[in-house]
Amino acid sequence: MKEQVGGNRKRARFQALCQSMRPDLLRFAFWLSRDRALAEDVVQESMIRAWKAQDSLLDEAAAKPWFLTIIRREFARTFERKRFPTVDVDELVAAEDPLLAAAQDQDLAELRAALFKLPLEYREPLVLQVLMGYSTAEIARELDLSNAAALTRLFRARKRLRALCGEDTRLDPEE
Amino acid sequence: MMDCTEVRRALLADPRDITAEMAAHRDTCHDCAQFAQQLLRFEGRLERALRVETPDVPVRHVRPAMGRVFEHRGWLAIAASVLIAVVVAGSLWLAVPGPSLAADVVTHMAGEPEAWQTTDVPVPGSDLSTVLDESHLSLKPDVGVVSYAQSCQFRGHHVPHLVVQTAAGPVTVMVLVHEPVRAATQFDENGYRGVIVPVAGHGSLAVLARGEATDPKMVEEVAARVENSIIWN
Repeated sequence: MKEQVGGNRKRARFQALCQSMRPDLLRFAFWLSRDRALAEDVVQESMIRAWKAQDSLLDEAAAKPWFLTIIRREFARTFERKRFPTVDVDELVAAEDPLLAAAQDQDLAELRAALFKLPLEYREPLVLQVLMGYSTAEIARELDLSNAAALTRLFRARKRLRALCGEDTRLDPEE
Repeated sequence: MMDCTEVRRALLADPRDITAEMAAHRDTCHDCAQFAQQLLRFEGRLERALRVETPDVPVRHVRPAMGRVFEHRGWLAIAASVLIAVVVAGSLWLAVPGPSLAADVVTHMAGEPEAWQTTDVPVPGSDLSTVLDESHLSLKPDVGVVSYAQSCQFRGHHVPHLVVQTAAGPVTVMVLVHEPVRAATQFDENGYRGVIVPVAGHGSLAVLARGEATDPKMVEEVAARVENSIIWN
């Protein structure tokens, strides 16, 4: 009986944790995959894996990086399994257009479309930094890069994104 | 001493991480100061662009799905229940841009105008404890007079919404455990002035007051005082 109560409490606690993390995990998966349906699948699958591996989460304060690592692996697994055909980025943008179109804010819609065009190697560290609040050292650790390489990717990500958005780049340093 | 190229490269890598050396260069270089300004404006838009709306799946929809996962009752059942939740709640995902954290905090203020009373009467201790207990924290008495305490729904979480009385009037504090930020950010929106400060390992604190005359330094002092007074349980 005591074991069941403990199990229920553990289950409820983990469920609450999943729910609190879900919005950020969905956003992260969306910007990785650039596909809403795929992002939902990846997050769903990741949560199941997370439940099975929950004993490896020793500190709830570290839950976000723990979940993100699971999502990144699940995303890689999904791509290995499905072997998606190469797609034209403009087609990808068009496919998500009704969703990306930011009501009353064309500027944001353009920025989102530009993010779609950014290669994954630049998009991912940028999302980790701006959306997930990761430091450069944390990004380097998650992506298995040196600090200098992580900084270079972040530098190139913003530089390319600004160019794609038609920003004034006259003061930008050369790559 | 860093030169312009080094400063701008570092700013492009992280516009919010400005070292003392970078700041010293920026303060004496008009072009780099202009560049830093441009990047900060771009960064605000980028944050909003990335914060796409997500379906706000109610607990009652998620719980059966997760329950089935936990009980290992079969993958088809899991898929079906999650699919239902996604269909119900997912239709609005990404339909509108997500506002910035500061904008959400300010929007939340409009829903509780009664919180802004100037008073020296503290909220009953039991009410304050209930709100704080829910978020697993407590406050040292030196925080000052807390005249208002509510556990508010904010971005999918219950968060403590407190009002601390100061010599300059009431100041609102929201303890945003689920909203980590990298650096302190001041804001001035819709008649509210405030700051969002990072709290290592515990998300962030949003601290704001009403009125154009609000002194940003006063707000920062309250933020520091509250942060020092919080005991994380």
